[in-house]
Amino acid sequence: MTDLTQTPAAIPTPTPAPRKGSLMVADKATIRRNRAEARFKAYGIGAICIALIALVFLLFTVIRDGAGAFQQTYVSIPVTLSADVVDPKGNRDPAEMAKVLTMSYGKLMDAALTDWMAANAVQIEGLSQADIKGFFSGQASAELRNMVLADPALVGQQVDATVLASSRVDGMFKGRVTDESAARDAKTSSQQIALARAMEEKGALVTRFNSDFITNPDASDNRPEAAGIGVAMLGSLYMMLIVLVLALPIGVAASIYLEEFAPKNRWTDLIEVNISNLAAVPSIVFGILGLAAFINFMGLPRSAPIVGGLVLTLMTLPTIIISTRAALKAVPPSIRDAALGVGASRMQTVFHHVLPLAMPGILTGTIIGLAQALGETAPLLLIGMVAFVSTYPSAPPEGLMDPASALPVQVYNWATRADPAFFERSSGAIIVLLIFLLCMNLLAIFLRRKFERRW
Amino acid sequence: MMNTMRLAEKAVAEETIKITARDVQVWYGDKHAIKDVNVDILANTVTAFIGPSGCGKSTFLRCINRMNDTIDICRVEGRIALDGEDVYDRRVDPVQLRAKVGMVFQKPNPFPKSIYDNVAYGPRIHGLARNRADLDAIVEKSLRGAALWNEVKDRLSEPGTGLSGGQQQRLCIARAVATQPEVLLMDEPCSALDPIATGQVEELIDQLKTQFSVVIVTHSMQQAARVSQKTAFFHLGNLVEYGDTDDIFTRPQDPRTESYISGRIG
Repeated sequence: MTDLTQTPAAIPTPTPAPRKGSLMVADKATIRRNRAEARFKAYGIGAICIALIALVFLLFTVIRDGAGAFQQTYVSIPVTLSADVVDPKGNRDPAEMAKVLTMSYGKLMDAALTDWMAANAVQIEGLSQADIKGFFSGQASAELRNMVLADPALVGQQVDATVLASSRVDGMFKGRVTDESAARDAKTSSQQIALARAMEEKGALVTRFNSDFITNPDASDNRPEAAGIGVAMLGSLYMMLIVLVLALPIGVAASIYLEEFAPKNRWTDLIEVNISNLAAVPSIVFGILGLAAFINFMGLPRSAPIVGGLVLTLMTLPTIIISTRAALKAVPPSIRDAALGVGASRMQTVFHHVLPLAMPGILTGTIIGLAQALGETAPLLLIGMVAFVSTYPSAPPEGLMDPASALPVQVYNWATRADPAFFERSSGAIIVLLIFLLCMNLLAIFLRRKFERRW
Repeated sequence: MMNTMRLAEKAVAEETIKITARDVQVWYGDKHAIKDVNVDILANTVTAFIGPSGCGKSTFLRCINRMNDTIDICRVEGRIALDGEDVYDRRVDPVQLRAKVGMVFQKPNPFPKSIYDNVAYGPRIHGLARNRADLDAIVEKSLRGAALWNEVKDRLSEPGTGLSGGQQQRLCIARAVATQPEVLLMDEPCSALDPIATGQVEELIDQLKTQFSVVIVTHSMQQAARVSQKTAFFHLGNLVEYGDTDDIFTRPQDPRTESYISGRIG
């Protein structure tokens, strides 16, 4: 300051410096810098393009392979429920009728198809009885039996039944089964394919939206056409509820304590490091932990959503704690000063001012944690959720203890089965899983926009 | 003319001691930030703390309402008494203390809520209003007290963060006033404001001293001279000189004070 007031006279008058080239011509250093910048931009665009191509490829293959799971072929022919077969005692007693095996209904179906062929003058050279039997899904006769048992008045009548065709017939309409593949496949034949073509022409085969895929439980290896993701979706939903109910309050409370109340000392440093470590622990390790702690030690049932939910909670907690702490840190300290300055207690400061401002970050972190948990497979395999579950769990809270599956596990499960029809289901389940994840991320964006406040 | 006016005012101000500080020491970790500060702050008086950056004036201010409690590494020793009661006594709840000793900060920091809720927050958490009408009255009185009422009375439900900088700072003053404190601490309240807003806030401070004991930290010596009756000069953690503002600025006793006031250090 003193220098400035004393020395103005000492500053030499500026002499015009010799010109070092025109502004109109870029010098070498500038050209080099501009080139480097252009290169860097090109790298960036290239990186984005590679990411986009990978995404498009992923979506394309999944949708190509999985779209078929949402369509299903049904046989729609009149079936005569002959009283001799379904009610051999002739007394219409449901208890007696329940003794008739599903296999007998299969014979009715086979007869109905033979009748239909005769009525429509369809004749196929070399069509065997096995081809006719294999035309229907194993599920078809069971469905017919349930229909009759539910309404004994149908006995002796002719009904228009719409039942599942076998996966081979279904595959024919999806391009999976051709004459060439039929020649190598013991479960189908070119005669069966010819029959299917003829039936389609006459309108006895219909392909329509497959709502059973959404609602059915898993099915055995022999009937992929009946398999659905209903139990897996419900199991995933139960687990997400458990994760939300446990991980959100525990995670938020832990981060509020660590961030706003805990003294900063060696212990809290240790805890902080360990939380970060926990976030990096491979998920399969959590599976082993869940197996040891919840099933072996606490004696909770295997394959149950409660155990899956607890394991996923442990896995999600670090994510929620880390993102919540980041959100709390991002709230300007001046807000805390302001609240403390008017005599608010620490808790009032946190709950009235800090937490509402941190809410968008907390919610986003929670939903991203949930989305991660939704897609997690490895720990669930270890706690038995990979088991074949063909019955729905009951409503919560008891249902949390019932065996269930989970979406990603179902994908894994189907992908390991031999029948190509299961591969299609697997891709279909991936589509459903991706739709759920997309919805959750959209919800996260929506909540962030809604709660975001400026100051 | 200003001087004679201030002298006249000083004569009427009752010379009761509001805050007593004795041998106050503050450490930040190993750093001795405040050394042996002894000062008596009077009621219904504006006391200015001046000094170069990092001299401890803000630190000392934050000791008075125990805002330093929020800093883990900060340690306070000595005695600071409000009306003869030690504020660092074990029985004192800092929350209760801060209701009595309000604070306005350097940067205007309204809550991201409506103007009304900003002012009503303190009375609400301290249960000062029995019903909505009471609360309305407190809000209006506080906003009038902060000379902001006429500007915001038609938009009380709009966010406080949407006001201009000077208005925001007056809103913060209204918020502090609304809890009916006895002492108002101001930490460089005008450093983020333009000259016009500064003038408004200074005028306000002059009015506030009729109800409170005001302690203001400022970097501007002109401001200290304009608004305060008492001035304390801090340097490197020491309270170098404390006395009537006129004496400090016209007849400083300590050479360091003189150097600072004349602009040679700082």
